[in-house]
Formats: sequence, C-alpha cells, structure tokens
Amino acid sequence: MRARTIRRRGPTGEHRLSLLFLAPSLIIFTIFVFYPLGRTFYLSTMGTDIIGRANKFVGLDNFAAMFGDPGFFKALGTTALFVLFTVVPGVVGGLAVVLLLESRIRGQRMFRTVFALPFAFSVATASVIFALIYNPAVGMANGVLSHLGVDRIGWLTEPDLALISISITTVWMTLGYNVLVLSAGVGAIPVEVVEAARLDGATGWRLHGRITVPMLSPQLFFLIVISTIHALQSFGQIHILTKGGPDGATSTLVYWIYEKAFSYGSSDFGTASAAAIVLLVVVLVCTGIQFGVLERRVHYR
Amino acid sequence: MALPRSRRTRGGLAVAAALSLALTGCGGDGGSDVGGQDATAPGADAITEPVTIEFWHSMKEKNELAVKALADDFRKVNDKITVKPVFKGDYDQMVVAYKQAIQQEATPPLVQIYDIGSRFMYDAQQVVPMYKFIEQDKFDQSANIEPNIASYYTIKGKLWSMPFNSSAPLLYMNADAVRKAGLDPDKPPATLDEIGEWAKKLTVKDGGTVTQFGFNAALYGWFVEQLTAQDNAEYCDNGNGRNGLATKVNFGTGAGPKFAQWLGDLVKQGYATNTGRPTDQAQNAFKTGTIALHLESTSALGGYTAAAKDKFELRTAPFPKPSASSGGGTIIGGASLWINAAGHTDAEKRAAWEFVKFANTPEQQAKWHAATGYVPVNPQAKSNDDPNFQVAVTQLRAQQPSPATSGCLLGVMPEARKGAEVGLEQAVPAGAGQEPRMPAEQAMQNAAATLQSPIQKYNANVGQ
Repeated sequence: MRARTIRRRGPTGEHRLSLLFLAPSLIIFTIFVFYPLGRTFYLSTMGTDIIGRANKFVGLDNFAAMFGDPGFFKALGTTALFVLFTVVPGVVGGLAVVLLLESRIRGQRMFRTVFALPFAFSVATASVIFALIYNPAVGMANGVLSHLGVDRIGWLTEPDLALISISITTVWMTLGYNVLVLSAGVGAIPVEVVEAARLDGATGWRLHGRITVPMLSPQLFFLIVISTIHALQSFGQIHILTKGGPDGATSTLVYWIYEKAFSYGSSDFGTASAAAIVLLVVVLVCTGIQFGVLERRVHYR
Repeated sequence: MALPRSRRTRGGLAVAAALSLALTGCGGDGGSDVGGQDATAPGADAITEPVTIEFWHSMKEKNELAVKALADDFRKVNDKITVKPVFKGDYDQMVVAYKQAIQQEATPPLVQIYDIGSRFMYDAQQVVPMYKFIEQDKFDQSANIEPNIASYYTIKGKLWSMPFNSSAPLLYMNADAVRKAGLDPDKPPATLDEIGEWAKKLTVKDGGTVTQFGFNAALYGWFVEQLTAQDNAEYCDNGNGRNGLATKVNFGTGAGPKFAQWLGDLVKQGYATNTGRPTDQAQNAFKTGTIALHLESTSALGGYTAAAKDKFELRTAPFPKPSASSGGGTIIGGASLWINAAGHTDAEKRAAWEFVKFANTPEQQAKWHAATGYVPVNPQAKSNDDPNFQVAVTQLRAQQPSPATSGCLLGVMPEARKGAEVGLEQAVPAGAGQEPRMPAEQAMQNAAATLQSPIQKYNANVGQ
C-alpha cells in the first residue's frame, strides 16, 4: 500500500490520497448533513399521507400553508424573544461572573467550579428540576416568595411569564459553559499587558473596560454566535416545562417544527420541512450578520 | 420460494411476479401479506418451528418489568415462541417509530398503540384485525373481555385490537382535608358544581396566601372527552366516528365550554390552582397534600397511594358528571395490542396472537393488574381489593356500552386532544384574580375549529 502511494506520487496520486483521508468526514457529512438537507428540500415540496410518506408533489403549497398559519409567525416572534432573553443575559452574566472571580476573592477556585457546575447537567435533568421549582402550587420558587409575602406566581402558566421562566432555566444551564470559556480567555491574557495597564494607573472597571473585555472579544464573539445558534435550536426545556404552551406562548420555531412533524400523532413532514428551511435561513442570516458586523470589532492577537 | 415454472415466452412475466412477491416480503408458508379488512388469521398449525417475535411497547419502570415478566411466563408455557419486548418511548413516540417502521417495511409483529391512535391503526391497513383470530379460534370474547373496554376498540361491530392496559378516570380526595372542612368523604361530590361548592369550603388561607387549594387538575384534554361522554354526548360526529369517518369535533359546545368556564371560575376565585398542561405538575402538587380534590386516571393511583402514606388519607370517588341530569358514562383510556400483517409470516402472526391470548388470561390479567394498577381487561381476573381501586371497577361495570362512552374514533384524535388543551389554556387564567385570555365558549369553539383542516386533510388522505 505504502509502496504504491510513493511510486504514484504525482499530482493525481496526492489528490487521491487526500480524498482517502477526507473520506471518513465526507461520508459522515453526506449521511448526516447533506442527505438530510437535500431530503428536507425535497419533502418541503411534497404532500404526505397518514403514515408520513411523501405521496404527491404540491409545489409551494406547504410554504403557503405555513405562511397562512398565524401560529408560525407567533413562533418566529417567540424565537426572537427567546434568543434575546437567553443570549444577552447568558453572555453578560457569564462575563460579570468571570470579572468578579478575577478580583482575587477568597475561594476563587471553589466559586469557579460552582459556577461551571450547571454545565454538567443534561437539559432533561435540569428541566425536570426546574419543573419542580416552578410548580405553582408546591414549587420552591413560590415557597420562597410566600415568605416575602408575595402571592403565588404562575411561572409556567402565565403566558407572559412562561417564556421568561424557560429563559431563566436556559441561562442557568448555559452560564457554566460561558464562565468556563471566558475564564480560559482571561487566563490567556498576557500578564505584561495587564501589568502595563496597572502601571499606567488603570484599576477596577477601567482595567476591565479597556483591557480585559477587549482582550476577551474573541471568546465573547464565539459565545454570542454559539449561544444564538443554541437558542435557535433549543427544544428539551420547552418540551418538558410547557410543551410549547400556555396558548403557544413558548412554542419556538424548532418546537413548532417538532409539533408538525412528530407530536400528537402528526406526520406533516411537508410543512415541517418548509419550516425547517426557514429555520436554516434564519440561522444563516443571524450568523452572517454576526460575522459581518461583530467580527470586525473582535481583537484577535 | 420456487420460481413458477413457465415457458420461455412467459418467463419475463413469471420473474416479475416472483420478484414482486419477494419484494413484498411474502413468506414461504403461503401466508397472506395484506393488512386491514382482507387480512386473514392463520391457525395454530402455522407454527412448526421456533419463532421469535418483537413486541414494541411504551411501558416504563415498574410497568416495563411487568411486561418482561409476562413475556417470561409466556416462554415457560410456549417453548416454540419467544417474545422480545422492546421499549419504544412514550405513546406519541411509539406512533412516530411505528410510522417509520411502516415506511421501512420493518414493523414488529406485535405493537402497543394508545387508545387515540386506534383510528389511525385501522386506516393504516397494516394489521390482522383481532376479530379474525377470535373467529378462527372460537375465542369467547364476551367472557374474556370487559364489554365496556372492548367497545372502544370495536369498529363497525368488530374488535380490531386487544385491550391491554386500560385505565379509567377518577376523582381523588385528600380525605383528611375533607373531614377537617366538616365534609363527608363517604358522600363525595358527583357533579362539577358540587365539586365547586366543596372546593370553596376546602380552600384554606393563611394570611394572604393559600396553603390548601380546594381543587386542581391538569389542563388535560382527556377530561373534556370524559365529561362529554358523561353527558352521553358524542365528541365527534358520525356516531363518534364509528359509522364512518368523523368530519368534525364537538367540544366547542356542551361539556367542553362548561368545564372550561367552571375551571376558569374556580381558578379566578382562588379555589383552584392552574398547574398547566403537563400532568406531572398536577400530580406533584396533589402528592404533597396541598390539594383537596383532584382529577386523574387510575394509572396514578399507585403513585398517590405511596405518596399519601403517613401524610394523608387517600380516597377516590367516581369521576364527576357535568350536571346532575347527565346520563352517560366514562370512556376507557390506555392502550391496546395490534398484530401486524404486512411483511410478516403466518408463524409470526400466529405467535403474536398466542401471546395476546396468553396476556388476556384471568391469571395473567390479575398479575398484570397487581403489578401495574391498570384495570383488568378480563372480567374473570381477580382485581385487588383496595376500595380506592374498586371505585373504578364499579364505575366501569355499572355503565352500558354506548357510542358516547365508546369514545371518538378520529384519525387526528391526538391533535384534537391537544386542541382542547389549547382551548383550556385560553379559558383558564393563570391564577387568582386574573382574567382568562378568552371567554370559555369562544376559546373552545376556536379550538374545535382549528381541527377542521387536519381532519379534512386526513380524510382526503384515506380516500373518503
């Protein structure tokens, strides 16, 4: 095998060799990315029978059905709010925690571990625990409030509050990861830079604002992109805590797709695929904007 | 399978015929491959050598152990048949998995499907209807299957699947709380209005906050179906979908808006709490003892009995009626067993039936019931003497099967249930002193109207 490769070491031989090395990832991408993608586009133009088999070409009917469904636009709006409610507090909160940890307090290491801990929870576990906390009749959240003389709150049953409650759960889950990434980033800032700033008299917020945060911009940018994509794809916490309710208040685009395709015996893969294409476009546009606008402000060393 | 003998000129045709037979997975034992009305039930002679069949089910935890025990017991008396239980996720996930299996022509010989998936199973044309086996074996249906349970799975007068795990709705009471309020748990409330009266007396406040709610139930569409049947009304048209495909759901009028209005008022007045749609949330609340009256299925009884131990006395009562004049009954819940025809050999089909028959025997039903808490399907099976459980048995046997209490057969029944739940979400405020998002009547009517398009789509798809 080796001998043959060496003998053939011309441009074509190298080309083939590179293809050989690429093959595993190409095969995996083809099976798990390209094929489903192609299938999604195909299904979005097809009607489905009761078993979920594509049975007839319907052109753009699925898109028309989707755009004619008020629930779809509501889901789009909910998705935008959910991104806002999770990405901003998640990244800003992570940054705040890291900066506080930097101020050389006692037990710094312990706090770092404690804050990173939620990262170790699976979505399902965290959601089940939060379901108990949020229970309107017997949950811990209302228990604490009652000691403060505040009456019960329907954390997950008030349509205006449910999305915020789910966002709190989501931020709690992602904060640990954000803290980890940012902590690593802070650790990588060259000591000379910080020392130079200190010599120039920069302390506290001035030091953070002028040195630490700009030096962390690659990590912050990474987290904003990743959290946005994660928020757009969140599913588990919504499914366990509210099933998209009350009255569709927490049904994001991904949940809407799930309901069309799989839940309640539905197998409307046509409309679900059409919505999946919309989700793809949304993710592409968001990532595009982030790379186009934000990345220019990122300071890479 | 041997290729049919033929002359050269007809060879092409013969090969094509043989290929098509092979492609549809026809076995060599001459078994018919079609599912639905035309499927045939093979006799006992179909099993000549050892056969292993998969049984897809949705039973978890202690119920899954009971399924395994059932399969093991079966193996002991049938050395030629091995049943391999495979857990395929909850009821909804099972339907997803089953649909995928149909597409890949890889269905299991035996599958457990929830009650509200029955019409889909009928229309999917995959199964040997259970009555064909019953006729083949001269199986005594009336002696071995509770008529009020069989009626749900009976389509056009014939039994299509074997009821397996059945549950019934109940009113649950915290008897300690009831007595403390000067009420008698032996004379439980029988109508929604009576529950409302009780709930007022059973709500306890400490300062500004409520420490005990009079009533709580999940915003569960199943309750709307039950109350509709209690009114002896049909949930969907065409005789609850049993005379032909249903074309609309009826929960926009009658018991639907009545229940929504009633529950919304109780929550608004602070006598009930709204724990939302997930049934877990309502169950957790009741288990702590802070809820006096509560609606749930018999399947929750085991968990409640354990939770109430040393905490409060648990009592059950018949499921309430919408009003004193309601003359109907309740509908059975749970799931049933379906034997797949398409793509299976006669030996596999027969093996599935042998297992189904075994699971229905009085001994196995008694064992199954004791382990899981489901209502025994076989009336000869001994049920446990827990009076809380006997309430459900009495309730079930007291009623006459009718189209209303047989439940609605609808292809998109799971979506219809969810639709009713969305209506309830709009009609029931989140907490005391709050207004609902929409008046009950309007909410339930809108919800029922949203079902029109899925129903029409489904009916068009099955060609009627």
